Amino acid sequence: MTDHFEVHARDGAARIGEIRLDTPLRTPGLVGDRLHDAGSEWAAGRETPDGDPDALTLLPHRALPAGTPDSVRETFGGAGNAASADDAPAPDELDVASAVVVAPDTATDHGADAYVLSGGPALVGHAERFVDAVTTVRRAIPDDSALYLAGAATPANVAALVYAGVDLVDADRAHVRGTQGFYLTAEGEYFLEDLEELPCACPACRGGREAFDRRACAEHNVTALETALRTVRARIRDGRLRDYLEGQGRHESFPTSVLRRLDGEYAYVEERTPLFRRESLLAATEDTLRRPEIRRFADRVTSRYVPRFDDRPLLLVPCSATKPYSESQSHAQFHRAIDYRAHTVSMTSPIGVVPQELETTYPAQQYDSVVTGHWSETEYEFIAAVLARYLERADYPRVVSHLPADYRPIVDRALDRLDTVPPVEHTVVDHPTTEDSLASLAGALEGEDRFGKREREHHTVRALADYVFGAGAGDELFCDLRTGSRYPKLRALDAGIEPRPGDDTDDDGAVHLATMVPNYGTLSLTLAGARRWVESDVPTKRVEIDAFVPQGSVLAPGVIDADESIRVGDEVVVDGPEAFAVGRAQVHGRGMVDATRGIVVQVRHSVET
Amino acid sequence: MSTEEPSPEVYESGRGMDAHNAAMREIRSRRDETYDPREPTRVWLDEDNTPDGTRRSLTIILNTGGCRWARAGGCTMCGYVAESVEGGSVSHEDLMTQVEKCLDHEADDADDPAPLVKIYTSGSFLDEREVPAETRAAIGETFGDRERIVVESLPDFVDADKLADFTGQGLATDVAVGLETATDRVRHDCVNKYFDFADFEAACAEARAADAGVKAYLLMKPPFLSEPEAVADMKSSVRRCAAVEGCHTVSMNPCNVQRYTMVEDLFHDGGYRAPWLWSVADVLESTTDTDAIVVSDPVGHGSDRGAHNCGDCDDDVQTAIKDFDLRQDPSVFEQVSCDCELTWEAVMERETSYGMPLAR
Repeated sequence: MTDHFEVHARDGAARIGEIRLDTPLRTPGLVGDRLHDAGSEWAAGRETPDGDPDALTLLPHRALPAGTPDSVRETFGGAGNAASADDAPAPDELDVASAVVVAPDTATDHGADAYVLSGGPALVGHAERFVDAVTTVRRAIPDDSALYLAGAATPANVAALVYAGVDLVDADRAHVRGTQGFYLTAEGEYFLEDLEELPCACPACRGGREAFDRRACAEHNVTALETALRTVRARIRDGRLRDYLEGQGRHESFPTSVLRRLDGEYAYVEERTPLFRRESLLAATEDTLRRPEIRRFADRVTSRYVPRFDDRPLLLVPCSATKPYSESQSHAQFHRAIDYRAHTVSMTSPIGVVPQELETTYPAQQYDSVVTGHWSETEYEFIAAVLARYLERADYPRVVSHLPADYRPIVDRALDRLDTVPPVEHTVVDHPTTEDSLASLAGALEGEDRFGKREREHHTVRALADYVFGAGAGDELFCDLRTGSRYPKLRALDAGIEPRPGDDTDDDGAVHLATMVPNYGTLSLTLAGARRWVESDVPTKRVEIDAFVPQGSVLAPGVIDADESIRVGDEVVVDGPEAFAVGRAQVHGRGMVDATRGIVVQVRHSVET
Repeated sequence: MSTEEPSPEVYESGRGMDAHNAAMREIRSRRDETYDPREPTRVWLDEDNTPDGTRRSLTIILNTGGCRWARAGGCTMCGYVAESVEGGSVSHEDLMTQVEKCLDHEADDADDPAPLVKIYTSGSFLDEREVPAETRAAIGETFGDRERIVVESLPDFVDADKLADFTGQGLATDVAVGLETATDRVRHDCVNKYFDFADFEAACAEARAADAGVKAYLLMKPPFLSEPEAVADMKSSVRRCAAVEGCHTVSMNPCNVQRYTMVEDLFHDGGYRAPWLWSVADVLESTTDTDAIVVSDPVGHGSDRGAHNCGDCDDDVQTAIKDFDLRQDPSVFEQVSCDCELTWEAVMERETSYGMPLAR
């Protein structure tokens, strides 16, 4: 129960929020002089303070430094005031914003608004321990509580701290490093004495090099940290913190170590990663291949997605810079040669393989990569592995590879991994879009049947349903599927179910269940679609609410329970004693249950029951 | 003072102790050296400030089988238990052999016998299970021609009859008590030493009744305290000790990182930094108005494991501290300065126990 902390925006495990004080304290940010510390009980007995409504009150604590033996951790390791008199009030009994000190193995829900993870200085020197500690604590405390790492932040590491899930930091380390003659920047640190010119124009640096002493250096460091935090907040709002962190990794090892270790904590980051973003995802480093978005896409394509076109030839084509691919010049040229006679699957780094039905999904439509024609071993290996997994689940009679020479090793490696290999034909002579190549492509498909618009549209709707709702959804959700409107804004209707009052139907009485959202490659459900989902065998992502009828949005206090599989951007069914609704999740499932403030579902349709 | 038979068992209370002891037993078990019971642990010659002025001193660390409290687990910072013989006690004959070797050392290295003799045991010299009454009396006789003797003991064992072995020889006699801090909570929870300040006061009264004095040993910055907390604890502890009748000297020593200790585990994982020498100087400088001799002897100064500043000024500050020990003149600290004072000031202003160490 956190009355005084609210999350406003999320980007993976990073969040923008505020500690609700008389003057709000923005996160991620510096705690500054807004922390009132009741003191360490290692040093003296402490009273629980009355609390200042304009400060975060840190309750009496016993911090456990790095290296504290287990038996001591267990004995002294309760929340801050656990060591106080038995009649000390619990954090949630105070009516001010409260914080308690925890260590990874002693963290649990203490009812506080914020948690101080002890041992920050040691953690930021050791990415493995840092990631272990933050993910452990984050899992143990409510999602809508703030996490403060003390004595640890620098301009170069703060993006990584926030990316892992830290909300509050302080300027102590940055200041102290300045007094030691270290000049800090977002790209790392310099020995002040080695700097001929100060690479910054902050007020402390404007006085010139001669007058710049260690006091000024400390001041600059704090300003640089504040600037870095502003950058981080802007990046979170844009959903592009990861790209920034990958960039910082070119200068400093810590950000890279942190993101690689977090990529290894897939369950932790995947839970917090949205289903889609509006913003582009730049693949400029090999670390991009291990982003949770990329891995999730590859997982869904090779597990949920059903290759319904596999009675046709599989046509492998290179990706294009323009997204979705079908709007690119090169794919338009391929398209004319193919003339609906093969199932087109695009090969791309970093995504892997993109079947034509999923070209609008995230991040297939949003990624941008640096194309040089040179592939790294990691890229070859990743894409070949995905293609092999894809082919294992399909049954294509033949493969037409319309790929330039640099893509060939991918196909060869993928086929090497298969037990049964369909016949493969290569159709690119020099470059995929030359007349010769295109003629060769058309020639290879000579004699193959064309598939119709209806089949194309049905397969697209079912593929999106598989991708968004889960394995089997494409077949389960629609009994007698009809499609309407035009690609990419397809409407999915069902002629096999009885319309209910208020349902939208077409002239034949088929009920409108879902509409394709071309910007993000999802399906948005109607109330009839939501009902169909609930009735089907496909696990429903359900938000259980109190007795009210949500209009426009569901706020956190109204949530009774929510499915843990819910991700930001997911379609969700909202269900309560007085209402049935469908909408889009703004918070992951566990976050919805933990939250006490803010919008958790944007409701599209609701009805009183 | 407890009325029960003095033993480590009387301390068997307090919720943190079992935890600390369990941890310390495990840590100590990693060690496998053994020691010869016929060799003293250490012996050296030095100069010390006494109530009668500065005197040349012979310091002996007897190997008595070590501290029984340490076998139960013991203090979080103390590695001396390891400097013990395997299996426990050392016989009277062996102890006297050690004393002989110390006298030989003194004869080799000094022209005359030192007026001041200090005997430590890494335990309690006055505990008869460590040093039998027979040995104590023999040692009193051995050094009967000196001016002053200091023997180390926990407060429980301070007893006028035992001290008579020295006062009866006409020796000015002091008991060195490892009080560590006047703050009971810090002594219990951070040091894991289980007696109270009241026991120390009682020991001082007992010593006074025997015409002996007490020298309090304080520990600056046990684990779990931040630098400012540690300095505040020492400033108040020095004053509280100096105010106790019979306690004429306070030796305030920065914690150092000894092998096979909990402090070493914290240090190894980045959770402990030995105190700054500036902190030592600060405490000495700010307590000169007290009615006691206040000294400090930083061990391993300038190294990562000992009290240290930035590396540039450590020797200068150490020299000032040693100078202060002999002259008790705070102006010695005006003679030393360094850029790193700015860092120390920032640490004193900003360091917390949940975000330390702020600087190495």
